Amino acid sequence: MFNRDAVVREEQHFILSTLPPSATQKWLAAAVVAGIFVVFASITFGPLSGVHLRRVDAFVPAYVTAMFVCDAITAILLYVQFSIVRSRSTLVIASGYLFTALILIPFALVFPDAFAPGNLVGGLQSTSFLWLSQHAGFSVFVVAYALLKDEDPGKRLWQGTVGGGIALSAAATVAIVLLAALVCIAGDPLLPRVATDSLHFSPLWPYFIGAPVALLSLSALVVLWIRRRSVLDLWLMVVMWLYLIEVALSYYPDPQRFSVGWYTVRVIGFLSSSLVLIVLLHEISTLYARLLGAVLAQRREREARLMTGDAVAASIAHELRQPLTAMVTTADAGFRFLDRPLPNLDRAKEAFERIAADGHRAGDLIGTIRANFKSEVRERTSFQLGELIDEALALARSDLQKHGILVHTEPGRQLPEVRGNRVQLQQVLLNLIVNEIDAMAAKDEPRVLSVRSEAYDGDRVVVSVADTGTGIGSQDADRIFNPLFTTKSDGMGMGLSICRAIVEAHEGRLWFAPNTPQGAVFQFTLHTSGPASAAG
Amino acid sequence: MADRPSGFVVAVVDDDQGILRSLEILLESADYAVRLFTSGTELLESGRLPEVDCLISDIDMPGMDGFELLRTVHAARPGLPIILITGYPDTLKRLPPLGGSTPRFFTKPFQGPELLAAVSDGLRQPRG
Repeated sequence: MFNRDAVVREEQHFILSTLPPSATQKWLAAAVVAGIFVVFASITFGPLSGVHLRRVDAFVPAYVTAMFVCDAITAILLYVQFSIVRSRSTLVIASGYLFTALILIPFALVFPDAFAPGNLVGGLQSTSFLWLSQHAGFSVFVVAYALLKDEDPGKRLWQGTVGGGIALSAAATVAIVLLAALVCIAGDPLLPRVATDSLHFSPLWPYFIGAPVALLSLSALVVLWIRRRSVLDLWLMVVMWLYLIEVALSYYPDPQRFSVGWYTVRVIGFLSSSLVLIVLLHEISTLYARLLGAVLAQRREREARLMTGDAVAASIAHELRQPLTAMVTTADAGFRFLDRPLPNLDRAKEAFERIAADGHRAGDLIGTIRANFKSEVRERTSFQLGELIDEALALARSDLQKHGILVHTEPGRQLPEVRGNRVQLQQVLLNLIVNEIDAMAAKDEPRVLSVRSEAYDGDRVVVSVADTGTGIGSQDADRIFNPLFTTKSDGMGMGLSICRAIVEAHEGRLWFAPNTPQGAVFQFTLHTSGPASAAG
Repeated sequence: MADRPSGFVVAVVDDDQGILRSLEILLESADYAVRLFTSGTELLESGRLPEVDCLISDIDMPGMDGFELLRTVHAARPGLPIILITGYPDTLKRLPPLGGSTPRFFTKPFQGPELLAAVSDGLRQPRG
């Protein structure tokens, strides 16, 4: 029920390498995969198999330049992501893109007849082996990325400085590219004869070039599939699929350059190179818009709070102005009774008594105001979270049973007691549970509500309430905490905003994340009573 | 409401008891006879309006507010000096047409001597 990563830090919802893909993105990726397969089939077996195209030597430099720009920009964007999340996996995949970009330089130089008749440097085999280096190398980077991304935080994060990390990985990448170029160019006479001339591949090509690339990209695809989680994972899987098609099309049906298959491989190569870039750019602009919305909502919320504050202040001012006016006026009267040729002491005394009474009235008013605003929040006790969760679930039991919802609780073992206003926090928990029941009631099975608590960041605990309901649409994500927002026809819209206010009054945070494979997870943090009670 | 050496009767309308009692003792210190009412309706229904020489009324009251009371009283007793007091300074920014009467305004908390001066000014004016 509970995804292993259900407890994600809220700030990571804005980072692409951790952001889960939307349903639309998954469909789009599936469409690309299927579409490319159709292209492959129609070239290998279908109507395009007999078509012959002209040899255009200028195609190669143009193609290489476009690929270089795409890969370099992708690398830069991923390095920027690394500087934010500092995860080693992001650093590795950024280096992978730098690698594919840089290795295009020797590839262009060795390509037969690209810049000048014959080979500028290297020999007949250099081109194929540099293509091998590029594709096999990038697949290895992807495997490394996939293996690194799920490590625990201690290992997952880069410990050094951001600049140092980027400089080190870039230097290592350049060294690998230089080494590959050296082997492929200087070692040309020693390499297997995979190309018979500047156009045709020999029967050795599938064994020395095709098979290694296919095997590595297939392994990368498998590792990514097992550990798939983020938008980036999804599109890297598509890239690995494109690599497999590239290998197949390079040799079948026509094992030569400038064939339909060969041109298609270049187009697919360009697609695979630009795919992640397009996704990155799209996601960055989407996230920018979302952040902008969040900032504006926050500003409106603050203004609303100030307005409420103004209204409260005005009402307090008015309440106090009445007794103050009475006191000042009565004092004036008392003064007039004394300031006479024959002072009226009795009436002056009466004035003083009234002033004292009005003073007490003002004091009582202040006391009442303070009681209204403060008393409830002040009543804080220490208690076990597990008990609170059980109580809230008991209160919601009839609703849970009515909708046939399975309840799954995972109380954190040996969690310290938390400190707070028990009644208010129970309201928060109950409100979240009732919301999620409503989200699941509108849906078919499975209906599972999971509540769990665990330690969070040292002296805090996090409570997660997860459902398998309809989830929260991206268009609602920015506004569900707004005081007047509701998706329910009979809702007042105050629930989540009050929940958030209560949690924030306890110096905690309340946020939500999508649940996998469906639904939403609401999470909030609370402070523990302190290290002394950790055994409790 | 002891003796009435000045011979003038001042009516005070306010929904706040504390304000009423403080104005009562202030006006008595200036030897006026004082009549207290907690609403405009209470004053109008008491039948005492004809004996009143000056009216002091709060503006912000539940039911009939100070402006409405002023218009009604002005129709019955044109020329009666009227003083309006308010706890909300903003009230004075949204003055409705007052039908020819020219009330004096005071914002709470006001100065006792100034209010008394306004009362005696109003009483000295020639009746219309």
